[in-house]
Amino acid sequence: MYKRTRIIVMTVVLLVSSLSLISAGALGADDVMWEVYNRDSGDTMSATLTMTLTNAKGASRTRSIVQYRKNGDGLERKLMFFLTPNDVKNTSFLSISYEDGRGDDQFIYLPALKRVKRIASDSKSESFMGSDFTYDDMGSRHPDLDVHTILRRENVNGMVTIVVQSEAKGNSEYPKTISWIVDGKWVGVKKEFYDKDGTLAKRLSIDEIKQVEGIYVIGDMTMTNLIKRTSTRIQMDDVLFNVDLEDRFFSERQMQIGPRR
Amino acid sequence: MKFFSALAKRPFLLIVLLIALVGIFGFSIARSAQLETNLSEYMPKNHPSFIFSSEAEETFGIGDAILIVLEDPQGIYNTATFEKLDAMTYSLLNDFAEIEDVTSIVVADSISSDDGFLEIEPFYAGDPSQEALDAIQESVAKNPMIAGRIVSNDGSATLLIVEPSAGSDTKTLQKELQQWITKWEGPQTIRIAGRPVVEGSLAQLGPKDMAIMFPLVVVSMIILLFILLRSVRDTVINMIIVLLGTLAAFGTMTLLKVPIYAVDTMIPVMLIAIGVAYGIHMHNAIHHLLLNNPTISKEKLAQESLKQMIRPIVMTALTTAIGFVSLMSSEVLPVRYFGLFSAIGVITEMILALLLFPATIYLLGVPTYRKKIDIKDEPRFASGLYRLTAQYPMWIIVVAALVLGVGIWGASKVWIDTSFLANFSKSSAIVETDHFVNEKFGGTSTLNVILAGEEEDLFKNPEVLQTMDELQLELEAEVVVGNTLSLATFIKQMNQVMEEYTPDTYHIPNSQELISQYLLLYEFSGDPKTLEQVIDYEYETANITVQLKSDSSAELKHVLEIVDSYKPLFEEFGITVGFAGSGYKAFVFSELLLKGQIISLLISFGIIFLLLTAIFRNWWVGLVGTIPIAITAVVNFAVMGILNIPLSSATALISSIAVGIGVDYAIHFLEHYRNERLVGRTQKEATLETLSNTGRAIFFNAIAVMGGFFVLLFSVFPPNRQVGGLIVVNMAVSATATLTVLVVLIHVLEKRNLILSNKIDTNMVQTKE
Repeated sequence: MYKRTRIIVMTVVLLVSSLSLISAGALGADDVMWEVYNRDSGDTMSATLTMTLTNAKGASRTRSIVQYRKNGDGLERKLMFFLTPNDVKNTSFLSISYEDGRGDDQFIYLPALKRVKRIASDSKSESFMGSDFTYDDMGSRHPDLDVHTILRRENVNGMVTIVVQSEAKGNSEYPKTISWIVDGKWVGVKKEFYDKDGTLAKRLSIDEIKQVEGIYVIGDMTMTNLIKRTSTRIQMDDVLFNVDLEDRFFSERQMQIGPRR
Repeated sequence: MKFFSALAKRPFLLIVLLIALVGIFGFSIARSAQLETNLSEYMPKNHPSFIFSSEAEETFGIGDAILIVLEDPQGIYNTATFEKLDAMTYSLLNDFAEIEDVTSIVVADSISSDDGFLEIEPFYAGDPSQEALDAIQESVAKNPMIAGRIVSNDGSATLLIVEPSAGSDTKTLQKELQQWITKWEGPQTIRIAGRPVVEGSLAQLGPKDMAIMFPLVVVSMIILLFILLRSVRDTVINMIIVLLGTLAAFGTMTLLKVPIYAVDTMIPVMLIAIGVAYGIHMHNAIHHLLLNNPTISKEKLAQESLKQMIRPIVMTALTTAIGFVSLMSSEVLPVRYFGLFSAIGVITEMILALLLFPATIYLLGVPTYRKKIDIKDEPRFASGLYRLTAQYPMWIIVVAALVLGVGIWGASKVWIDTSFLANFSKSSAIVETDHFVNEKFGGTSTLNVILAGEEEDLFKNPEVLQTMDELQLELEAEVVVGNTLSLATFIKQMNQVMEEYTPDTYHIPNSQELISQYLLLYEFSGDPKTLEQVIDYEYETANITVQLKSDSSAELKHVLEIVDSYKPLFEEFGITVGFAGSGYKAFVFSELLLKGQIISLLISFGIIFLLLTAIFRNWWVGLVGTIPIAITAVVNFAVMGILNIPLSSATALISSIAVGIGVDYAIHFLEHYRNERLVGRTQKEATLETLSNTGRAIFFNAIAVMGGFFVLLFSVFPPNRQVGGLIVVNMAVSATATLTVLVVLIHVLEKRNLILSNKIDTNMVQTKE
């Protein structure tokens, strides 16, 4: 049973756990991954995301999205609105994931069609909005799904990181991943994905970690698919935590009204 | 002359030289001869059409797919068949490194929408129960992207579309897959189709058939030559000449590291048809010298035969070689090489003919012919011909004119076609599978229409998409077009799904916003890779895939014309229309090839006219000499037109044989006749003598070559049958036209004092004195 944070959000929002005072030296690989998994990410949040998709020939598409999230009552609600490009402006996407393991509810609203559609789609390994991130990458993977081993400690950009290798217990597109976790902050700065042949297939690099209201937020990250030679960069701005969001804000009605402001 | 007689006097040195050459060429061929079967190697890579096509192929991942067809007469929607399809798809994806991707019903995505619920998921989720399969059947029927494309409309057959990875060897892959499908056979029928399969089989079949037929051609020629020449020695020399000529052509080719192309299988055909003439004329000269002077010494015989024949043989060989070299003007590399190395072969044959006959006389003495020729019998052929030409000149002219008239009419019916599939017999497995796929699915051949704009998001414009849709509808109305696929198809399908199959929603919506939003949704949840096959990243360039039920270039041309008629409409949006794909490239290639061959044929006529005029210092001779050649060429094309033999690269080359052989006949005939006249013979005497001497050689030559290539008519490979048949026709017409029409025309010219008049007059005066 893993936490159903099917994060449609682009965020990997990170909170320094109070437990982080404990030295990692005393922790095993599983403990490290649990630390990462258990970070608090605030009950509500809003942010603006800029997603840049680059294809193998170097051409790119940029989209900006405003996103709202609320956690509570055993569920996570997310609502996103496209801001640009202009012809998809106000296209919105609503997702509700249940911690009890029920399948997500997802809805899409196309303003030109003036209709909300419920979407049935249920694979975490699917591409997130046609990007190089999967839904799995956008959320946090439950630690029990993998067998973790600490490989070494390494200095990355002046930060002490713990290098953890995770091998999937079940079937997975990337049976092996290696993560560089900043000791004490429990934030990843780098992750490598190896495919079934053992070749490095994807690489995630986190280029900016900022603190908003005491919570660590990834401000800039890029996923590169080395096989397809494509990449996706996600930048996050205007991050606000503990925003006042009613439950009914995450509704089909709001989808049609448009974002706040 | 000196070179030839000096070397001929040293037969042992000559033998050593020949053995050395055979060794070098043979070794070189054995070591490095390899047939180039990759069609793209043939193409002129810097031609604008090819550059454009190659770029588009890269943008949209256009490649030739291999189609694996599974047919289940009871319908494919049963547990066993789906489990098999699943296992096959999995095996294809995992067991072959050369396979990039596989599309089949078990991996295809279904987009459906009911009651506000949008579903994007694979048709087959691994549940092979009859209930689940019935549901698949229902959703397939509603999906025009699947029905008729991946699953036949009657549900009896389905395709596994195998995309080879870029740069992989599709010929080897298709061979492996031919083997692989056998283990999945039964109770379902499994077959394989697609361009790589056709090309791969063709690359094997053509040369393989030639390898069987060619020795038969040689054997039947040996038999005929022996019957005609009545001499083992001369038969052997003749065969040595043609085989060494062929060896020299391929030997120099491999020595110079030039790859052997499929067209080059015509080189031995050419060199045999042409080379036999040199030997026969040498034999003929020796034969006649012996007839006139049975006690002639071997030195004298060797010298005299060489002296008599060196001029006509060198002239004929040079004109033929010049004809071949003129092919060097072609834009197509293999044709250039074909011309060059055929010329080398012809020159080798000429040298050998001039060396080997005198040398064998030095080595083995004066030849004795097995059966003494009946002197009375011999002129019967000549006198018969003479009587015909002398008594019925008008008839001959009328018949020739009629033949020309009918010929030109027939030639106008010649159609240009380069169908790969037409190369297989109608009952072959490959043709049957192709028919089956064409009947049940979109088609086995593909044309890509590339619409290139300059403005980002241009292809989200509803008007542009509507124009594309109109074009597609017009194309689909053609019998030869199975279906078409483009961004417009995607949008129409998406619109229908999002509107929940409300009637009349299978169209392009009028709002660019809606189109953009559909595309956004598709990118999210569908398979963006599928979209990449129809549109580039910036929505500036689009690809319409047109599936054709025939690979005939004539059919393709018609489709191209329809697309071209839309050019002005697309121009209004700043869009240029181009084409891509291997089928289109093969079409451009064959057009280039044919254009080149037709031009070179016309050039050769010019060259022949000039050469004959120069050799005989009289432009009337030049004109008259080209007439039998023109008749031959016209009849050649007429036969093709009437018998429905399409003009292809192989059949077009045969017209060069007509020219090459025709000019040889004309030169031999005119040379001999003029010499007879110059020594003071009357017109009748000279004609009779020429007919019994040169005429006999021409006749023998024609019979030997015709007999040899007649064997090709029994080939299992239709193009080889066509080559055989056309050579037989060409030889027959060429010989007949030379021995009748040319004779009559010379007589006409003489009567009007247009040729020979002053020379003969002075000669006559001299003899009288």
